[in-house]
Amino acid sequence: MSHAWRPVFVVLAVVAAIVVMRVILVPSDFTAKDGDYKYQWHRLSAEQVSKDFTVKHRGRDFCGQCHPNHIEKMKDSGHQNIQCENCHVMYEPAKKSHPINLKEDFGYLLNIGIDRSRELCKRCHAELSYRPKTYTSSKGTEKFKQIDPTKHNPGIECAMCHDVHSAGFKTAAK
Amino acid sequence: MSLSRRELLKMGLLAVCGTVIPLSALEILKPEAAASLIRPYSEHKRWAFVVDTTKCVGCGMCVKACKLENEIPFNIDVQRTWVERYVQLKNGDVLIDSPHGARNGYIKNDPQGKEINEAEVAKGIFVPKLCNQCEKPSCVQVCPVGATYKTSDGVVLVDKGWCIGCGYCINNCPYLARFFSPVTNTADKCTFCYHRITKGLNTACMDACAFGARKIGMLNDPNSEVAKIISTERVSVLKPEYGNEPQVFYIGLDAIVR
Repeated sequence: MSHAWRPVFVVLAVVAAIVVMRVILVPSDFTAKDGDYKYQWHRLSAEQVSKDFTVKHRGRDFCGQCHPNHIEKMKDSGHQNIQCENCHVMYEPAKKSHPINLKEDFGYLLNIGIDRSRELCKRCHAELSYRPKTYTSSKGTEKFKQIDPTKHNPGIECAMCHDVHSAGFKTAAK
Repeated sequence: MSLSRRELLKMGLLAVCGTVIPLSALEILKPEAAASLIRPYSEHKRWAFVVDTTKCVGCGMCVKACKLENEIPFNIDVQRTWVERYVQLKNGDVLIDSPHGARNGYIKNDPQGKEINEAEVAKGIFVPKLCNQCEKPSCVQVCPVGATYKTSDGVVLVDKGWCIGCGYCINNCPYLARFFSPVTNTADKCTFCYHRITKGLNTACMDACAFGARKIGMLNDPNSEVAKIISTERVSVLKPEYGNEPQVFYIGLDAIVR
């Protein structure tokens, strides 16, 4: 055989090696879904991983199983659209933890606590000239109460006077 | 074959006219657009998002909920969704900021850390941002290993077990929606809460929003609020000039918003 064939065999060997490596290294479920190589070339099993991620925020219905009184109180109030978790989930070690171990009993993974700081209420109620002055609830468009935190009883917790669940005053609620 | 002078001139002129017509002139309607004329809502499932900036008060509850839901370290400045503040002063200056992605909300009139007198402010807007889940995601095109992809229902996801953390996609997103996760050491981004929407729940940010500024829904479902808003109200998208065809539609944007 002519020596000219030798480089051809080398090239064939390299191609075969690449094909074998590819079969070993690329997972079998690597597919272009819908025939779209440009945007949908991926491991199909990865989609399931994204779907199986744990749901952590369970919403008002979950809390309402044990606290129906609070859900009832909030139902027609100005705070009706706010989820319990907005205020009660703590991202730093909770100052006051939930009396029942939610993680063990319900598989609920967030830390529940009570945050009475003015900073929490100021996120919505501190007056800024460009903050919307109305909001929509089940009753229609309502006035959005905002205060200047430097003038409105500075240094006192909001919950001293305000009932945060009914969004009214504590004395008026009694 | 014999060719008369008249025929030669006619065919020559036709050939010249044919070559000067740009290809785009022949594409009068894209196939999708033509299909939408016949059948307004296509069968193709497609998630889309609507952000109403006129309702956003900048409380940042969405950012907090997103970080906790998706296990993004709270005290590190990486986030899947964030709220930007645009303040235009009466002297024409525009101040843009988003301190820590607004995870603690906006509680003072201090754009870029400078306290500003309310009287100086001409206008201001809060703009919640998240991944635009583009129809033509430029981040996916540059991934060298196939670790990021678009699902059939239009959500762009990251395969964290396959990502090598090269960061091309992070650089290539015109919306800066991607970041390098210090937890998994891979690229990370908003998934429209894929684990929630595929179970029939809303996204964590949408549930956390007490003002209804965020909405998610199927674009092809005529009963979804998102489809109704997009087809009947004045919506716009961010940076359309990049050609990514973003699928997060905004109500009430302004020229100062980038």
